[in-house]
Amino acid sequence: MPLWLREHSWRQTLTAVYLSLPLRGARATPANIFCTEQYLKVSIPPFLFEAILYAPIDDTNSTAKIGNGNIFFTLYKKEPAMWDSLTLANADKEKLQHVRENAVLKAHEKAKEETEAKKITKQEHKNYALEATMKLEEAERKRIEDLKEKERQKVAKELELWKNQQKDADKYKNIPKKGELRQEIEELKEKKNEKMDKTRIPNEGTSKARLKPTKGCHGSCSMFSENLKEEQLPAPRSAATIKVNFTPRVFPTALRESRVAEEEEWLQKQAEARRAINSDLSELEDLKEEEKNPDWLKDKGNKMFAMGNYLAAVNAYNLAVRLNNRLPLLYLNRAACHLKLRNLHKAIEDSSKALELLTPPVPDNENARVKAYVRRGTAFCQLELYAEGLQDYEAALKIDPKNKNIEKDAEKIRHLIQGTLQGS
Amino acid sequence: MSAVAGAERPQVVSHVQQALSYTVFDCKWVPRSARLLCLGSAARGTGLVQLYELRGARLELLREIEKPKPIKCGTFGATSLQQRYLATGDFDGNLNIWNLEAPEIPVYSVKGHKEIINSIDGVGGLGIGEGAPEIVTGSRDGTVKVWDPRQKDTPVANMEPVQGESKRDCWTVAFGNAYNQEERVVCAGYDNGDIKLFDLKTMSLRWETNIKNGVCSVEFDRKDINMNKLVATSLEGKFHVFDMRTQHPTKGFASISEKVQKSTIWQVRHLPQNRDIFMTSGGSGSLHLWKYEYPAQRSKKDSEGSEMGVAGSVSLLQNVTLSTQPISSLDWSPDKKGLCVCGAFDQTVRVLIVTKLNKI
Repeated sequence: MPLWLREHSWRQTLTAVYLSLPLRGARATPANIFCTEQYLKVSIPPFLFEAILYAPIDDTNSTAKIGNGNIFFTLYKKEPAMWDSLTLANADKEKLQHVRENAVLKAHEKAKEETEAKKITKQEHKNYALEATMKLEEAERKRIEDLKEKERQKVAKELELWKNQQKDADKYKNIPKKGELRQEIEELKEKKNEKMDKTRIPNEGTSKARLKPTKGCHGSCSMFSENLKEEQLPAPRSAATIKVNFTPRVFPTALRESRVAEEEEWLQKQAEARRAINSDLSELEDLKEEEKNPDWLKDKGNKMFAMGNYLAAVNAYNLAVRLNNRLPLLYLNRAACHLKLRNLHKAIEDSSKALELLTPPVPDNENARVKAYVRRGTAFCQLELYAEGLQDYEAALKIDPKNKNIEKDAEKIRHLIQGTLQGS
Repeated sequence: MSAVAGAERPQVVSHVQQALSYTVFDCKWVPRSARLLCLGSAARGTGLVQLYELRGARLELLREIEKPKPIKCGTFGATSLQQRYLATGDFDGNLNIWNLEAPEIPVYSVKGHKEIINSIDGVGGLGIGEGAPEIVTGSRDGTVKVWDPRQKDTPVANMEPVQGESKRDCWTVAFGNAYNQEERVVCAGYDNGDIKLFDLKTMSLRWETNIKNGVCSVEFDRKDINMNKLVATSLEGKFHVFDMRTQHPTKGFASISEKVQKSTIWQVRHLPQNRDIFMTSGGSGSLHLWKYEYPAQRSKKDSEGSEMGVAGSVSLLQNVTLSTQPISSLDWSPDKKGLCVCGAFDQTVRVLIVTKLNKI
């Protein structure tokens, strides 16, 4: 049950009502005050004060001051008239309820309207700001354009001026020499005719000789300084040839020479190989997710090989191959394992399969190919098929000519072959 | 990197743009005039030479000359100022010198190479430098030949691969060091990154190096002085600046290199009025303007006591993107500072003005 606050005091003028409500120690905030046109409520739990006002008030302009332990309301009347009392008398419970509900509804509506209005004004402000910035940017742009235009015009004017100067200079140059000019033209025509004859009847021997007389004539008749220089020109150089060498081709060369097409093919093959997974293996269902990944299996195999556990490595590679039989590195590594296990035929098979998959031959897979050849060569030699072994070593050497080990081994095999030939 | 403030930097202003109906391979200013030449290849496989004049804000076509073979490159470097004959190299390996007033028959013609002449340069003409006017051509057949217009049919110097050696395309040639009548040097860049410097006075190979990527363009900063700097541009956006004043017996010339962008740098051209400023044009349609700064000491002694050059530094003054296609040719006007023309593979030729070069 709320505690009703009844110790309020009020006084009124024609237009306003002043209500003072003492709060018995309670602290009030604006949220506790609820006021509509004809209903006023102050609720600070557990205290409660409500009043149905005698006549409607203008609740937007009315104020409430909170302080000094009481709330001081200044309520402006809608119609200036003297009230008999602050509240309506004979207010029964139903009417009270009704009034309360109305009040709440009205408050809601007002709140809604206010938010709407606020939104609209915010929008307008934003638009205004946007337009203002756009105008500013436009002005800036225009200013820069104007600057550029001015610059351009200035430069164009200078150019015109210079051109006119050139034209004038030419005119002045030509005027005093008009007399000479005719002579010049005739001489030029003569020279031209001679030259034309020269080109029509190529005559190397006489050309040089003919040139000198015209040059001499030219030099004496005209006042141009350039022609005087002509007389002093050195004779044409005596012909000579300089031989050059070009830097040997080093990969990577310019794009025009790189074997892009083949590299693309290789990359595509690799990409496809990764995607090709043999599906139908039902016994693989109980394998863990990572064990179905050929790369993971390859890594596992490599680790086993490094530790010396060749059988386990072979198992890992086998499983990987069953999952994806297009990855050349799996076969390559398995060949190495077989070599260590002295399964020479299997080593040869795997190296061959690896080499098959390592086409087209591009610098990318050079290393792999060298290893494949070397492993196959070793297997052949251990089977005493030295000729085939030598072939493979030489192929490896061709790819990687700088590898000393391969060279040494190839030499050894050659000696062996010669030794057996001599022996048998 | 650049010490020049933003507002004071040179600006590249596009003055005129002209759309062409053929592929332009080379564009050159006609010396002492406001005219320019565009050399290229028409769609039907013939060569075109167009002469334009800069009038106000547009280019006016004065003359169009058609030749049986597409033309790849041209130069005015070896003619006198009055004659202004154009030397061209075409797709068939022919070197021709034309009088543009009467272009029906060439003044000089020789089938110099078996394959396309990629690059041509001339020295000794235009009142610049001393010595006999000569033309050098570099071709896809791997040879570099020097021609004297007074000697028919045979070159005065021929730089060819040793017998049996597989040839590399020569992509660019440049003359340099022509400061008196005897001295002359030819620099050639090849597609495998080789740069070779041939001394024509001693008829020998003076220096060679390899910059790994094919060399698209080489140019000395001035042809007619004691060789000072050489810029070589290559594929994959790199260019090298070599200090040519000091040659070390084993290490050659000192250099710095700069990487611009991912695309090929097609051309480098030094400003005729200031030999430390050059412009590079790129495969992405952009132009970069650079300034070279010399180091405090241009040479120093190494541990054995032989002189070694010291390379300076390069700073970017400005860059601008004009087109989406490579800008394959670039030429500064020798008469007006900052005026240049560039031709791009989008079949347009553009006249540009670079401002504020006086303040550099």
